[in-house]
Amino acid sequence: MTDLRTPLPFAGATTDADRPVRMAKIIDQERCIGCHACTTACKSENEVPLGVSRTYVKSVDVGLFPEVRRSFQVTRCNQCVDAPCVAACPTAAMFTREDGIVDFDKQACIGCKACIAACPYDAIFINPEDHSAEKCNFCAHRIDMNLEPACVVVCPVEAIFVGDLNDADSKVAHMVGREPVQVRRPEKDTKPKLYYRGAHQATLDPLAAQRPTGDIFAWAMQAPEDGHTINSGHEPGWPGSSSAAAVIAYDVGHSVPWDWRVGLYTWTKSIAAGVYPVVALLITLGVLDAGSDLWTLATPVLAGAFLALTGAVLIWDLEHPTRFFYILTRPQWRSWLAKGAVILSLYAAVLAAHFLAGVVLRGDAGEGLHWLALLGVPAGIMTGVYTAFLFAQAKARDLWQNPLLPPHLAVQAVMAGAAALVPVALWLEPDVVDALAWVVAIASAVHLLMILGEVTLPHPTAHARTAAHNLTHGRFALPFRAGVVLGAVGLLAPVAPVLALPAALAALAGLWAFEHAYVQAGQSVPLA
Amino acid sequence: MTQLDRLAERVDAARAATEARGETFYQGPSRSHLAMFPPKERWDDWVELDSKAWPQRVEKRFMLVPTTCFNCESACGLLAYVDKDTLQVRKFEGNPESPGSRGRNCAKGPAVQNQITDPDRILHPMRRVGERGAGQWERISWDEALDELALRIRAAITTDRHNEVMYHVGRPGEDGFTERVLAAWGVDGHNSHTNVCSSGGRTGFQFWCGIDRPSPDHANARTILLISSHLETGHYFNPHAQRIIDAKHAGAKVIVMDVRLSNTATHATEWLAPYPGTEPAILLSIVRQIVRDGAYDREYVRRWWNWQQYLAAEHPDRPRTFEAFEEVLRDLYAEYTFEMASAESGVSVAQIRAVHDAVVEAGPRLAVHSWRSAAAGNEGGWQVSRTLFMLCALMGAIAVPGGTYPNAWNKFVARPIHLPHHPAAWNELTYPLEYPIAQNELSFLLPHFVEEGRGILDVYFTRVYNPVWTNPDGFSWIEMLTDHRKVGLHAALTPTWNETAYFADLVLPMGLSSERHDITSYEQYDAQWIAFRQPVLRAARERLGETITDTRQVNPGEVWEENEFWIELSWRIDPDGSLGIRQYFESKARPGEKLGVDEYYGWMFENSVPGLPETAAAEGMTPLEYMRRYGSFEIQKGIGPLHESTVDPAQYATDKRVDEFGRVYSRDPAPAAQNLAPTGAPDPDAEGRRPVGVEIDGEVKRGFPTPSGLLEFYSRTLVDWGWGEHAIPTYIRSHVHPSRMEEGQVPLISTFRLVTQIHTRSANSKWLDELSHSNPLWIHPTHAATLGVITGDLVRVETELGYFVVKAWVTEGIRPGVVACSHHMGRWRLAGHDHTHRLNSTTVALERDGSRWTMRPEQAHGPFESSDPDTSRIWWTDVGVHQNMTFGVHPDPVSGMHCWHQAVRVVRAQDGDRAGDVHVDTDRSRAVYREWLGRTRNARIVSPNGERRPRWLIRPLKPTADAFRIDGPVGRRA
Repeated sequence: MTDLRTPLPFAGATTDADRPVRMAKIIDQERCIGCHACTTACKSENEVPLGVSRTYVKSVDVGLFPEVRRSFQVTRCNQCVDAPCVAACPTAAMFTREDGIVDFDKQACIGCKACIAACPYDAIFINPEDHSAEKCNFCAHRIDMNLEPACVVVCPVEAIFVGDLNDADSKVAHMVGREPVQVRRPEKDTKPKLYYRGAHQATLDPLAAQRPTGDIFAWAMQAPEDGHTINSGHEPGWPGSSSAAAVIAYDVGHSVPWDWRVGLYTWTKSIAAGVYPVVALLITLGVLDAGSDLWTLATPVLAGAFLALTGAVLIWDLEHPTRFFYILTRPQWRSWLAKGAVILSLYAAVLAAHFLAGVVLRGDAGEGLHWLALLGVPAGIMTGVYTAFLFAQAKARDLWQNPLLPPHLAVQAVMAGAAALVPVALWLEPDVVDALAWVVAIASAVHLLMILGEVTLPHPTAHARTAAHNLTHGRFALPFRAGVVLGAVGLLAPVAPVLALPAALAALAGLWAFEHAYVQAGQSVPLA
Repeated sequence: MTQLDRLAERVDAARAATEARGETFYQGPSRSHLAMFPPKERWDDWVELDSKAWPQRVEKRFMLVPTTCFNCESACGLLAYVDKDTLQVRKFEGNPESPGSRGRNCAKGPAVQNQITDPDRILHPMRRVGERGAGQWERISWDEALDELALRIRAAITTDRHNEVMYHVGRPGEDGFTERVLAAWGVDGHNSHTNVCSSGGRTGFQFWCGIDRPSPDHANARTILLISSHLETGHYFNPHAQRIIDAKHAGAKVIVMDVRLSNTATHATEWLAPYPGTEPAILLSIVRQIVRDGAYDREYVRRWWNWQQYLAAEHPDRPRTFEAFEEVLRDLYAEYTFEMASAESGVSVAQIRAVHDAVVEAGPRLAVHSWRSAAAGNEGGWQVSRTLFMLCALMGAIAVPGGTYPNAWNKFVARPIHLPHHPAAWNELTYPLEYPIAQNELSFLLPHFVEEGRGILDVYFTRVYNPVWTNPDGFSWIEMLTDHRKVGLHAALTPTWNETAYFADLVLPMGLSSERHDITSYEQYDAQWIAFRQPVLRAARERLGETITDTRQVNPGEVWEENEFWIELSWRIDPDGSLGIRQYFESKARPGEKLGVDEYYGWMFENSVPGLPETAAAEGMTPLEYMRRYGSFEIQKGIGPLHESTVDPAQYATDKRVDEFGRVYSRDPAPAAQNLAPTGAPDPDAEGRRPVGVEIDGEVKRGFPTPSGLLEFYSRTLVDWGWGEHAIPTYIRSHVHPSRMEEGQVPLISTFRLVTQIHTRSANSKWLDELSHSNPLWIHPTHAATLGVITGDLVRVETELGYFVVKAWVTEGIRPGVVACSHHMGRWRLAGHDHTHRLNSTTVALERDGSRWTMRPEQAHGPFESSDPDTSRIWWTDVGVHQNMTFGVHPDPVSGMHCWHQAVRVVRAQDGDRAGDVHVDTDRSRAVYREWLGRTRNARIVSPNGERRPRWLIRPLKPTADAFRIDGPVGRRA
């Protein structure tokens, strides 16, 4: 007689008792009728204001009459396993729960928009009422009440459902295991837990479909593109990523997270970052005497002033400026905003010490300041360079995913620092103006070469190509070209003494224009 | 054990845990431990975590109260979350106890929250001061409004001018309450919107089976054949969409005919975009092939078609055998080859053949639906539903699982506490002699009838109805409404300001979905069920022990509901009961006292809804308490083919007579009907015997409510009333058929709905408006190229009456050579008015120069300050164009349906044109009216019996027999 109690080998190995819960969501586009019930149910449940959405239904008409169909994509947070928003958030306001739900805490949000910049799906927005970042959080408050999310409940055709991927019994695990489901932008290494069944590439890929001409969709307006908002799809006349005739029939606009203040911040920061290392270089080369007021006093004052300006612009750009200190009191160390804050603080501390020493000891400070410079020069360079890592955390802003960005920012810092020092040197140490002019010119030359590389080298992705196009020929062509021309004027700085100041100022102005164009173009490609 | 079994086990565990607590577990689509709704046992005190405070766990307490959505006609269940601290509604979810919608909703369900908090809603009764339409208003009391109305109505009634009182309704959203108010007043004053909506669709069904709506059993179908976009904008949108998608995923084929790409077309196995109006040609070509192949259900056709009557009338020389009929049938549609249908419609032969194959494969599991769309767009559109239903009639797909039911069998209208007699006078302003077999009132011709001096309106109610905007030829409506000689007093019963209310004398605020009582029942699957709409705050406060006697006590401001309004008004019309009106508005429990809504519905639920008292008692409730708590009740599921039921011989025991075609008559009285759902009412025989059934193969079956008791392939009614050429299902070439249009004209499809809006009703929802707010002209790229326009460019669309200016949407989603413009949009308000509705409307200037009218947008739509901070965030500026203004009236000479499609010329906009410009000459309106009137066949000439209309046809508020006489009373001054 067979003993029914004999366990099979490895019996129990496939049970999920000890696996962590991984809440996932499936949107079945084969069932979805594009009715937008999920949109309004979400607005109702979460009291989402007009102009922003946690979830919406993108619609794309694909094909040529009569072989044409409308494809839908219920568009929202992808609940990534490796959520870039969580990594980028400096205060852990975006966080991953134990069950895998990426949730947020509005009380902790400082409104830096790093999460928005970081999200490869453009699924996060600033709520205009409370000025905090917000997105689909799976209706976590309902999950914790053992209720389905609001969109799941309302859906007339049961096209949305949720469950634990590690629970082999769940419908979600069942479908992910058996059906050819898709995720958006897997190449971004985020491991989305929002799966689509039967979605069309023309909706999944934000550049596959054409954005209509004019200002309308099939039954609504396109969000006005006023520089703060972008719409999905490739522009008419610019090649998309699909060979199928595809036109967006309905979509919502997305806010660009970082406005002109971020370009201003990188500019003031470049100046602050460059001044100290450039003067230290002059001393090292013997061009400048270590006892000079330019080194002991003017350098920390000039760098400190622009560093303070940088800090002020950063705080000004926050949606919750009064919460700026959260970045230091509740830092989340994977965030380059948090790390950057430490770098900026360290640099500020060095500059302060340098200044204090300079004031107290004046020309006698020399030796001590040498030792301080061992800390100050790297701090200055890190101040200039860390932004490259901050930008790199914006995983889907392909223009910024450039391995040469750290050296490029270092070069910009040197150029900006030297250029900013020219008028000061004209006042305090006219003898070093020539050397500074040469630094400006050489740095400008390298800067221009790197730009040349940026815009002429074929781009590896459609997104980077589109961003570069917008930079050089599109919306940002004017500031970009101004930046290049003015940067070229910087090459003239050492040609004649009379040219040093105007060329340096031109190089500075050019850098500001370029930074603005670069920061904005990097955000000009639709992600959703 | 399979994965699915294990899943079921786990879900069962969650269910078991809930049920072990004695609570209901509402399983959600995730099939997990997550429930869709709180257990109904906790609806009195549900504790929920606040989404706004999250991740702080702030608890909020709610009372959950059901009601019924009042946006579209689907009557989906809603569950209002009433905050127990503020006693205000926080949100609406679906009602899991609603059998039609099953707890799910479309976008409009949650959006009810916007509607009840709309900052521009009307909160108090208002009376015009100054000129009509000038926009100056004073707040008055309900007493003043009621007295003014009562005085005028009483005067009309006491001077035999009953029919100078008219009630003009948009979506009724209720079954019978208001009709009975009019009946009690003796007024044949019911005017509906139906002839701008579904009359064409209804006509085709009615001539087949005596019931004017289909009830497709989508969930069990093998093939679903839809004329138009029923998945997203159908009459029963959400309930049907659920079942269509379920069927599709169970393997059903979905066939969709629609000129433009809809969301439904997207899900179609076959999407056909026929040239507008050619749908019957396609359907008849499928009929022809099925008949030629003998692929139909012969036995069903033999038993249930009135083929004998047809042979006797049209082929008296042939033997009256089924085989002879089959031979005739084969020849009848011989010209409708697939090739002919393809040439006519532009749809490929291969695709038509594929549809044919799907129909044949389906056999009796063929679910079809046609409602507005082609049937509402084209002259002869009523043949669309008629030829469509013919497929079901051929396949035996009627009232069987997966087939199509006559709606009255899937609907239950309960008998009310009082049932007044119907009016004794005929209203010629709604049913004129030119349209003896029109399906519904010729509502949209009203301004022309009044202009011609056919009568005046002493008291005119518009109720959740906006004819100035919705109907064609809106300027003619403005001309009528502003003329005091034509309209004595215009009272608009409406929750929101609208284009018609601007031209009213009294504006009386009525409640929205969660602020009023109504009872509804709709055919959404094979069952009978009722849904109860109720003021949720009234129900909530009653649960808390308060006594509410008037819905105004709980509604915002002085917003009322119609039930109580009509009762109160009727009492004031007949304060002492001497007119015989008051009796119908009196309490039965307390004779001589006013009837209240609690008693009205309490009596109905107690006495007229089978099974409800028992179900309620099992839960220890009265039937009214049960309905207030759960909102719905399913009376019976699986109704089945009622026509096949055998008639109790006791019903024809006395003086039974069987006519030559099997119709069985008797003098035995009809058993009292429990279900008052409207159906045809076949006439008695010449000797006055009542039709009780139809004899088939020796058995007396209930049959259909048609004159013959059978499915009427051949309509004797159409023959008798002058339309013999359409006695059988035929194809009528539309007024926009290429052969009937001038060079350069193309058809404009103006009827298509969007998934997120519902006519003018939903503009008071900011969420819905944000989702869809414009109506560009859909035009195919090849057509656009000839005009040199791209998407976003302005074009002029020239109609018979004038033109409108609109942006172009150049799309592959429409048949080349056809253009389309959705409705809902182009809402407007007038500058200088005290009160307007600002959401999704643009301020316009109206200019009149004799018969020439111009409407120009004066300022773009945009943000505004209000009690809702969201209105300052409105970002869209384009709210579309009001195209209906430029449409002439096109009454179908048979069905009376306004044939919406327009023959237009599309040209580039001219200098100075702005999006939204409208220009119309109302002299042209009158010319178009007269042209279409010329196509009619007047009852004075065609009536076979000196009456105005075949009595058996469905008609709201059917007057008494005497009033049917052409020379009978008309109830108005001479």
